[in-house]
Amino acid sequence: MGGVVLETLSWKKLIILGLFLLFLLITFFLIGGLIAPRPTNVVHVIGTKCVNKGGVGNKEWFIPRGGSEKCIQYSSLDDPGIEDDRISANQIVFSFWLPHPREGIQLDFSRWQQTMISVLDLTILYDDENQVEDDAIIQLDARISYRDKEDDVNDWKELASSLEERQLRCEMEGKKENGYAYNCDLLSFFELGSLHYDYYLINIKVPVEPYKGINAGIGNLRDITLVGIHQNGGFTKVWLSIKTVMFPVVLAVLIWFWRRIGQLSRPPNLLERTLFALGIAMSILNCPLEWFTLAIDMPFMLLITDIRQGGFYAMLLCFWIIFTGEHIMDQCERNRLVLYWKHLLAVVIGCFCLLLFELSERGVQLANPFFSIWVTGVGAKLALSFIIVAAIAASCYFFFLCYMIFLVFRNISAKKVALPSMSKSRRSFYMGLIYRFKFLMLATLVCSALTVVFFIISQLSEGQWKWGDEDPSLEYTSAFFTGVYGMWNIYVIGLLSMYAPSHKQFVQGSNAGGDSQEEEVQLTYLPSSSETSAIQSFAAKVAAD
Amino acid sequence: MHLVKFLPKNLAKLLLVIVVVCWCFLGCRGIKWLALAKMSSISAKQLPEMCQELIGLAKRQQKICRRNVEVMDSVRFGAHMAIDECQHQFRNRRWNCSTVDPVKVFGNFLKLGTREVAFVHAISSAGVAHAVTRACSKGDLQHCGCDRTVNGRSAEGFEWSGCSDNIAFGIAFSQKFVDARERLRKSKNIKRVLMNLHNNEAGRKAVEDSMQVVCKCHGVSGSCELKTCWRSMATFRQIGAILKESFDGATEVKLEHKKKRPALVPVNNQFKPPTRSDIVYLVASPDFCEPDPKTGSLGTSGRVCNKTSKAIDGCDLLCCGRGYETRTMTIVERCQCKFYWCCYVSCEKCTRTVDEHVCK
Repeated sequence: MGGVVLETLSWKKLIILGLFLLFLLITFFLIGGLIAPRPTNVVHVIGTKCVNKGGVGNKEWFIPRGGSEKCIQYSSLDDPGIEDDRISANQIVFSFWLPHPREGIQLDFSRWQQTMISVLDLTILYDDENQVEDDAIIQLDARISYRDKEDDVNDWKELASSLEERQLRCEMEGKKENGYAYNCDLLSFFELGSLHYDYYLINIKVPVEPYKGINAGIGNLRDITLVGIHQNGGFTKVWLSIKTVMFPVVLAVLIWFWRRIGQLSRPPNLLERTLFALGIAMSILNCPLEWFTLAIDMPFMLLITDIRQGGFYAMLLCFWIIFTGEHIMDQCERNRLVLYWKHLLAVVIGCFCLLLFELSERGVQLANPFFSIWVTGVGAKLALSFIIVAAIAASCYFFFLCYMIFLVFRNISAKKVALPSMSKSRRSFYMGLIYRFKFLMLATLVCSALTVVFFIISQLSEGQWKWGDEDPSLEYTSAFFTGVYGMWNIYVIGLLSMYAPSHKQFVQGSNAGGDSQEEEVQLTYLPSSSETSAIQSFAAKVAAD
Repeated sequence: MHLVKFLPKNLAKLLLVIVVVCWCFLGCRGIKWLALAKMSSISAKQLPEMCQELIGLAKRQQKICRRNVEVMDSVRFGAHMAIDECQHQFRNRRWNCSTVDPVKVFGNFLKLGTREVAFVHAISSAGVAHAVTRACSKGDLQHCGCDRTVNGRSAEGFEWSGCSDNIAFGIAFSQKFVDARERLRKSKNIKRVLMNLHNNEAGRKAVEDSMQVVCKCHGVSGSCELKTCWRSMATFRQIGAILKESFDGATEVKLEHKKKRPALVPVNNQFKPPTRSDIVYLVASPDFCEPDPKTGSLGTSGRVCNKTSKAIDGCDLLCCGRGYETRTMTIVERCQCKFYWCCYVSCEKCTRTVDEHVCK
């Protein structure tokens, strides 16, 4: 019966391999840190106050700048002209054209920029007689349209429109004096899953209906600033290159792994099947589908990417549970998925909740980009309950995992005491088992610790601004993303190659009960790793005992 | 006939030139461009030629104007905002930031290197920075910088890493335009130049320091795995308040040559050297009680004061002990107003009798 590659490797080879993987990891980190710009950037647009002279039903687009197509506008809502011309609230349209003109050119979005989410920052000035009411709700009549560079200047095509309500959370810090601005929470506005077109135009009306109390308590709203957060083209390029390279690499390792298993005379065991599934999940995540977004409008890409990522992490969690379970070394036979139903249920429930949450947020946004589950009372409760259930499932999972790891270590120490009294083959079997488990534990701990460390570094660097600093320092956030992404790729590749059945034992049949002398023959020069193992033989021995 | 008509005019011109020259030697490097504030609006055409017609621009500023015609309307707006804010912050003080006339704006007042002058410099450069930044954010200006130095170093610019925020451009423009007057020529009055430059910088620093970092989390399922932060600019009222605080804590400085380079150091050597955000001044302010053309003081007679206050807006202090007159007035006010966004107020009219105290 065969062991795995890990056990047949010499320390020297193992160290070389470890260093190589570490080098790869550092490379990933540096690619993100040195080449890629930060993952996202903002477009900061203050709304132009256009005037709708065409009545309530007027469906024309109000364009903030340009030649004759430019709307009639006021520089500020305090402009005396507004009162003189008897402009009413329902005629005011806040208009935003993204992106800006810069350095003499009208910039345009690139498809490399992938996605954009936006938030609104309201400037509400304090006014003794006109304060923001508690729990005030602002109603926005929002429309978004797009145009390409070569289109006619008036040819804006509607992408979405919606009447949205948002809760205003504003407070006055410090002096309550006229002219000071409230400190308002940002309002989530829209999320676009694809930036397929060159220009986007957003028109927002703040309709006022005194009798229905609509927009009655919003205070002295003077300005609306739209902050569009788009992915950076440079980051997408680097990211996509990594994916394009990693996809075939992982796929090749995966195929090699499966062929190794196919060469065995026994059917693949549970652990091998789980590893294979992990490889598939990684490949799905790696698959550089984003290339298509450069040609086709794929607003669902954001959702798909999230689901792919979720799928990978779910698979990883399942793998850890199964791997630990298969190494418990107690008296019962496992090797069947059904035995892990409790643990896997925790993963499935958790992931299902997050999937539902994702679908009800980003899924609905496919139909209405302005939708957010958090803005309505029921929706927020629903979302929160999804997240709470997922959190409970996650804690259950970690409880199970920790308990199983505890069992493994308890059995390891028990076995270690008993090791000298065992027969040679049993001893080597157990030592192999322990070695493999400890190796994975170490690798996993290192990866998790690195993830956490990277995360903290990137969060810290995000919090500390070095504005105007022109020295090309590391871009920590990008480094975090490419580093962590590369790390889990390396982890999966490492697992697939280390835990593949070793071909050095193929000579022997699958005689589970027989002694495995051949290992000693070929691995005598490796005292510490000359152990071999097989779950089946273990089970059989246990049964024989 | 001709001679009679011409002579006084030329004489006046000559006199004016002499006055101006003397003035400049005295160090009256007034911020004459603030006169832009008094223009209703800069012509919509935005031609470089209009720069000659703008009042109060120095030669170098005209050059900047010709190169950045579209920005001039923001400069005008910034100047306007600065004067408004100055008057708001100083509404209760003896010197209330009132302007003398549309061309000279503050008149002789700017001759001395007082605290108040320091404040005017700071707030005007802040005003320009604020207004230009805003105009960039609104998309009104075609030539705002994308400033890749902050975010990336690729030639592909916007596509590769987006643009930096607009404040960099606003600050840079304010520096270029406002400081141009000070850097005009080698002046003998180096300490005034240094003072003005320092205070201009303090104004811009106030704009920069008042910016708030705002963040949004937008990772997988809205987690904070991915967080984007940006800076948002405070309202000009808040910037005015910051500068007013700096005004209250301003440092009196004198010129000293450190390693052959002129620098401003505190008169009281117990104090630390002024930082970039401090306001500095050279001479103590007059009391502004009486009108004095030399100092540009308008005096406080005729100002409305607060009878009950013990502070500077109280009648005792504001009227400089000259006493006050009380007028009883009946005023018609709006009351019980209901505000409808954006621009409609429905009010009732109430009549009220109030006592108004006016300085003698």
